[in-house]
Amino acid sequence: MDTAQLLINGLAIGSILSLVAVGLTLTFGILRLPNFAQGDLMTVGAYLTWISNIAGLNIWLSMIAGAIGTVGVMLLTEVFLWKPMRNIRAQPTTLIIISIGLALFLRSSILLIWGGSNQSYDLPILQAIDIFGLQVAYYRIIAIALSLLAIIALHFILQNSQIGKAMRAVADNIDLARVSGINVERIVIWTWVIAGILTAIAGASYGLITAVRPNMGWFLILPIFASVILGGIGNSYGAVTGAYLIGIAQELSVPLLGSQYKLGVALLIMVVMLLVRPQGLFRGTL
Amino acid sequence: MVNYFVFLTISTGIFAIFALGLNIQWGYTGLINFGHVAFMTIGAYTTILLSMQGVPLLIAVIAGSLLAIVLGLLVGFSTLRLREDYLAIVTIGVSELLRLIAQNEEWLTQGTFGLQNYPLPLGEFNPNWLSKGIMIAILSAIALFAVWQLKQGIQGEFQTRKQRQKIARFPLDLGIWGILAIILGGIIYFNGVIALVNYTYKAGLMLLILVTLTILYAIVQRLGQSPWGRVLKAIREDEQVPRALGKDIFWYKLQAFMFGGAIAGIAGAFYAWQLTTIYPNNFEPLISFYAWTIVVLGGAGNNAGILLGAVIFWTYNSVTRFVLPNFDWIDDARLGAFRLLVIGLILMILMIFRPQGILGKKEELTLGR
Repeated sequence: MDTAQLLINGLAIGSILSLVAVGLTLTFGILRLPNFAQGDLMTVGAYLTWISNIAGLNIWLSMIAGAIGTVGVMLLTEVFLWKPMRNIRAQPTTLIIISIGLALFLRSSILLIWGGSNQSYDLPILQAIDIFGLQVAYYRIIAIALSLLAIIALHFILQNSQIGKAMRAVADNIDLARVSGINVERIVIWTWVIAGILTAIAGASYGLITAVRPNMGWFLILPIFASVILGGIGNSYGAVTGAYLIGIAQELSVPLLGSQYKLGVALLIMVVMLLVRPQGLFRGTL
Repeated sequence: MVNYFVFLTISTGIFAIFALGLNIQWGYTGLINFGHVAFMTIGAYTTILLSMQGVPLLIAVIAGSLLAIVLGLLVGFSTLRLREDYLAIVTIGVSELLRLIAQNEEWLTQGTFGLQNYPLPLGEFNPNWLSKGIMIAILSAIALFAVWQLKQGIQGEFQTRKQRQKIARFPLDLGIWGILAIILGGIIYFNGVIALVNYTYKAGLMLLILVTLTILYAIVQRLGQSPWGRVLKAIREDEQVPRALGKDIFWYKLQAFMFGGAIAGIAGAFYAWQLTTIYPNNFEPLISFYAWTIVVLGGAGNNAGILLGAVIFWTYNSVTRFVLPNFDWIDDARLGAFRLLVIGLILMILMIFRPQGILGKKEELTLGR
């Protein structure tokens, strides 16, 4: 395994992480919700894509179906958990414990319904593509391209659309946004929709390059949070940068530490960051 | 049957000790520690590895507990100055990292082969009638202490209600709690006596755990009512208030975090002695959430609540283990998933509708409301 190969792997993982991390940083920054269920929501996205795929849809349609399903699950949690808790102005600690309860609930529901074994999409096995002498698996390129597309789309939504501007306003100051006539509840729903789509795409692409399994998202929760903290909470571009940094650092550490301790690298980066610059590399909204 | 109850008593005792540690961290101080099992891992592996080198068990346990304190210091130092969510995510990461180390550093922990044949407390002990009598006397002393604590607790609650709600008669629900506690304690006590008469290793371990639990319970209870404990509770409710009174918030939080970790380290040693073979998989992140369920269910900041929570948790655990397999639709993997699903549901529902748990005081645990 030479460095260039590891770099490509890091880019692929970073792309996936960046999508989930942006989903988390949006809900974290706008709704003040440190959602520990984010990783498991990604698993939900991967499984929903998988069942649509084995039911006969092609992979792109399955991803759309998975995204719709994930958004649905997120909106359900919004209606039954987060909105009532926001209304009584619950503290972050309460929200954190509820979200970890939700994480356990989602993961065990998946285990209960589909069992614990690895699943994979019904896809043709394609030859690796040769790029400047590097063998890159076809689906890795798909995963990287998908996430770049999603992030560019997000950039235009955040910068140019009414909703994006309103989202940034709500993230900055929710009360000020409300008195300037922004319909905060509508913005909250849109935040969930965007976060849900990004999370589901991430889950589906992670399933493409590894396998679909009940634990896939749970084991990513640390790198996801590390990316968000690294980039400054609430800062989408920061989260993307953080995700690529973490993804690449994890892969590049493999020759030094072995592949078992990737998680330790993410943890180390996060702890160093917390000690040196807890507000993150870029300006966050919290 | 006796042996099964001994097993249940041991498990409940270990997890009550374990959750007492979390109660100091979350229940008293409001620190979100999702990686509580990390302290247990450190405690268990240190105790076992040292005792395999011939270190006396007591010293090995103390060393394990000290290392857990060091871990608490390291984790706490990097995160306790910051927002509460940072501690939550770092502790999850640390607990997973420790498990990975236990799994991969085979020169130290033998990895997934696990550690076997390590020294056990009272492992070669073959008691005669005198020592059996002494052990039963110790068990009886614990039972008396428990009854005294129960009486104190119920009387204290009666007094507060008298003042607050102007009632004269002894309330019915307190009476029911008392009777239930006496029945439960009686079962544990008489079962314990029978087990000690027909002495086995597990009976000795059970007695040791009950002694440890009693001592730790008394210490935590005493500290919780001390000025130190009241500062911790004030930090949980609103840390600006004790800060305005000149308390060093960071130092108090760090102390609470390390103290809770030390207790969990002791729980880890007993956990290893109960299992008699430890694998890295015994220390999954899930174990932390067992403790969370116990604390949230029983009542944050209430030590009697922790005991109640541990009893309910293990009752639930054994009921689901024996009842659910009778249904055809559930296999082994799904059984585990189902039990986890209920834990997740309990955490969500309790935090929404009854964050103070069964025995917690609503007036005390406001959680910002």
